[in-house]
Amino acid sequence: MSTSVTFDRATRIYPGSDSPAVDALELEIAEGEFLVLVGPSGCGKSTSLRMLAGLEDVTSGRILIGDRDITHLRPKDRDIAMVFQNYALYPHMSVAENMGFALKIAGVSKSDIDARVLEAARILDLEPYLGRKPKALSGGQRQRVAMGRAIVRQPQVFCMDEPLSNLDAKLRVSTRTQIASLQRRLDITTVYVTHDQVEAMTMGDRVAVLKDGLLQQVDTPLGLYDKPKNAFVAGFIGSPAMNLGTFRVEDGQALIGEARVPLPRSTVGALTTDRVQLGFRPEALVPSSAEDAASFPVEALVIEELGSDAFLYGNLIGDDLRADHVVARVAPRSVPAKGTKVWFSIEPGRLHAFDVETGDALPTD
Amino acid sequence: MTRLLPAGALDPADTTGATASDVRPGRVRGREDRSRLASIALHGTLVLATLVALFPVLWILLSSFKPANRIQTSEITLIDSPTLDNYRAVLFDTPFPTWFLNSVVVAAFTMVIGITMSATAGYALSRFNFAGKRGLMWVFLITQMFPVAILIVPIYTIMANAGLINTKASLIIAYCTVAVPFCAWMLRGYFDTIPQELDEAAALDGLGPFGTFYRVILPLARPGLAVTAFYTFLTAWGEVAYAIAFMQTRDNLTLGAGLQQFVPQFNPQWHLLTAGSVLILIPAAIVFFFAQKHLVAGLTAGGTKG
Amino acid sequence: MSQALAVAEAPVEQPPGKQDGRLRRSFDRNWYAWAMVLPTVLVLGVLVMYPLVQGIFQSFTDLTESNAQDVICTKTLGGGEECRDNPDSAEFVGLDNYVDLLTGARGSFWLQFTNTLAWTLACVSLHYGLGLGLAVMLNRKMRGRSLYRVLLIVPWAVPAFVAAFGWKFLFNPRFGLINQALVNLGVDPVEWFNHRWTALFAAICTNVWLGVPFMMVAILGGLQSIPADLHEAAEMDGATPWQRFRNVTLPGLRPVSSTVILLGTIWTFNMFPIIYFVTGGEPAGQSEILVTGAYRAAFEGVRNYSLAATYGVLILSLLMVFASVYRRTLKAQGEVF
Repeated sequence: MSTSVTFDRATRIYPGSDSPAVDALELEIAEGEFLVLVGPSGCGKSTSLRMLAGLEDVTSGRILIGDRDITHLRPKDRDIAMVFQNYALYPHMSVAENMGFALKIAGVSKSDIDARVLEAARILDLEPYLGRKPKALSGGQRQRVAMGRAIVRQPQVFCMDEPLSNLDAKLRVSTRTQIASLQRRLDITTVYVTHDQVEAMTMGDRVAVLKDGLLQQVDTPLGLYDKPKNAFVAGFIGSPAMNLGTFRVEDGQALIGEARVPLPRSTVGALTTDRVQLGFRPEALVPSSAEDAASFPVEALVIEELGSDAFLYGNLIGDDLRADHVVARVAPRSVPAKGTKVWFSIEPGRLHAFDVETGDALPTD
Repeated sequence: MTRLLPAGALDPADTTGATASDVRPGRVRGREDRSRLASIALHGTLVLATLVALFPVLWILLSSFKPANRIQTSEITLIDSPTLDNYRAVLFDTPFPTWFLNSVVVAAFTMVIGITMSATAGYALSRFNFAGKRGLMWVFLITQMFPVAILIVPIYTIMANAGLINTKASLIIAYCTVAVPFCAWMLRGYFDTIPQELDEAAALDGLGPFGTFYRVILPLARPGLAVTAFYTFLTAWGEVAYAIAFMQTRDNLTLGAGLQQFVPQFNPQWHLLTAGSVLILIPAAIVFFFAQKHLVAGLTAGGTKG
Repeated sequence: MSQALAVAEAPVEQPPGKQDGRLRRSFDRNWYAWAMVLPTVLVLGVLVMYPLVQGIFQSFTDLTESNAQDVICTKTLGGGEECRDNPDSAEFVGLDNYVDLLTGARGSFWLQFTNTLAWTLACVSLHYGLGLGLAVMLNRKMRGRSLYRVLLIVPWAVPAFVAAFGWKFLFNPRFGLINQALVNLGVDPVEWFNHRWTALFAAICTNVWLGVPFMMVAILGGLQSIPADLHEAAEMDGATPWQRFRNVTLPGLRPVSSTVILLGTIWTFNMFPIIYFVTGGEPAGQSEILVTGAYRAAFEGVRNYSLAATYGVLILSLLMVFASVYRRTLKAQGEVF
């Protein structure tokens, strides 16, 4: 019963505001797909979701579920279920009543409601709590009730608005996988909003990155990681974040600290100024030595030893443009001491280049 | 003011004492404890305040059991040949029961109508953006400023033209104009504390705005409604200016206007007044004790948010 | 207002064809909001706005009980009725009422005005001060807290007129408990209602007794809404209890305080039954406040409706000025309500 969802230049301008909260969003979500909307706060991700749910007016453009134009339908006519950030469980109803409420409104018979609620409760391990009020549940249980309420509806589309952000870190990780596997099992098209890029990367079939109401890029998690379309996506996706810095270019070589890093010919050809914004992920830095002309020294300030990994945070020495912090992944259990000078070079083919003005990715082939 | 402060802060010896190794565990004082002196001062003040709060009521209660001629003596006695004569006189020799009934009817209708109107209006103000909303909120606030004096004559004329003078309906309508704006304002504040997501969840579950209001919001707003009901009931139960102006025949008076008749300038019948007052306090007290457990919650959530 | 403007402007930017749908959608979304406020708006319109306009109009006429009718009808011998125009019907008199009232030619406006000021100032400051003190005490953990709270709210449940009669009973110069207590303490009894200020004192006592519970409950709510970690942070910063009260509690109470003080002032200003029943204006109208003065003008002796309306307009103007100054002051201090 799953359907596709299409945003067709959907725009939302709040009354009294000039700039759109969501600007001509174009997005196609396939049947059964788990799409994650991610971005910093205020980027319009929640607004987009609420437009789909019918909780927010669409100023212009259209939204379709399957072939059905639902742009101006009321929420209840859209066949959508939503999981809210704070769960929005009705405090005066028991768990079972909460889960069955939509069916009751729709006039489903009592026995059917009971059967479906029980079924959902079984899936979510909520059977012992059906008679309780939400107040008597733990945070994780409430979250599951909110999920159950959505499942019971058997809707065409799930909307989830940061459903994990009220859970503690450990529970968040386990619930993350539960939701993802549940979605695969039910095969219901899901739009999931989060500000946490780790959630986005781990859960989504595809991830849409938004900023200031504009869609930046839609791709699979790895696609975003490996081929960010612009500096924003590059910096947003990945943890620790990609190292980004603006450097001068001389004779097709970027001056990173004391190093002269040769740039691909295509990159140099696309440059419009004598500067370039370069990005390299922490794991793209390989230890090197002073003899290598393409290596640069970093003064180690902080070492994060995680056991399986270790990260070095340091200053680029001798950099005339930006003495920004550099993060490098180093071999764990044999980390350099704090304050030492460490030489790195960038692994070939793992350098990202962006236009200084627009932030758009430059070719690096 | 010292009684307001945590005791530990007042008494440096206390903190050093607590860290000393030779202090027996039983003597260690927690952060929340206060010194005996502070405790006495705190309870003393509160007991005194409670006495002041209760005393007039108690005194009237005690006086109502004294014989008529003993009330007006200059000796202080708490109990003086107790009798129920005053109550008998009030209930059987005066129109008091009729007044009482009039007041109950007026207060009850005001409460029901007032709550219905202010709850719906408060909900609309809390949840929807509609043209004229801000203006309406201002009108509600400004209505609080209208003195009885400026409205009473025109309303009197309207009621007279509608043939409603000397009827309970005229009072109910007039009281609603007093109670509804304030209650709508207060309930709006209360509804604001109910998360908007619940409305949205209800919309997705298939409820329209009225259904959401009735099945989700109203059940959750019970504490706020209790306070509002309490307020409207007391407004109507205790109002006198309109009552005296609108009600003309002795049988139609409500309590406020009626009670006045017990204590005219000359030859006031204080024994009737005390017994009557006690009887008036009873329903107010009943309503009050139903509402009181919600009072703090309801008022703080609603009445304090502009 | 900006809301209404935005709604009105939005369609202009749209191509003309889309306007209808937009308006329809706006109606779709808003009709129930309007439906929900409609009864209230109607009642307020008919019974507040219309009377208000009429009251303002009346204040510019010489309307009294005797000239209220436009026509005078007399029974004729045959049992019929004969009506003719009332030669003395109410006329437009311009500002005469205001001039008379403000110069003291009729009524005693300035006496009542000073009474009202003293009355409002005393009542509101005592309400707030005592309410704050009790609320702070009740906000602490202690034995019997809920019992104290219930008992202290009791006066709130007492209707104003009952309280008024009760306190008048206590203040009775001949056998009232207060004078008896004074006598027992060796003090001369006071003729409470023979002097302007003692009469007002009695009324203020009554009103304070009546009004403190409301303030206390409201402030208690405000206190409970101040996050405890603010107090803890201040404590870590080394603030003394008094400094914490000054710098955490009082600022945290501001939203509550500003509202209840405004409402309290308006209510006290218009408080009718206490003065009307406790002092009854004794001695000789000396303890009257503006509202009771207006009421007596309207409903006692020859009912002077126009003079009462003039009182009303003046009271309303005073309160509006007060409210706007109050609001501006709060706004200047960064508080918006």
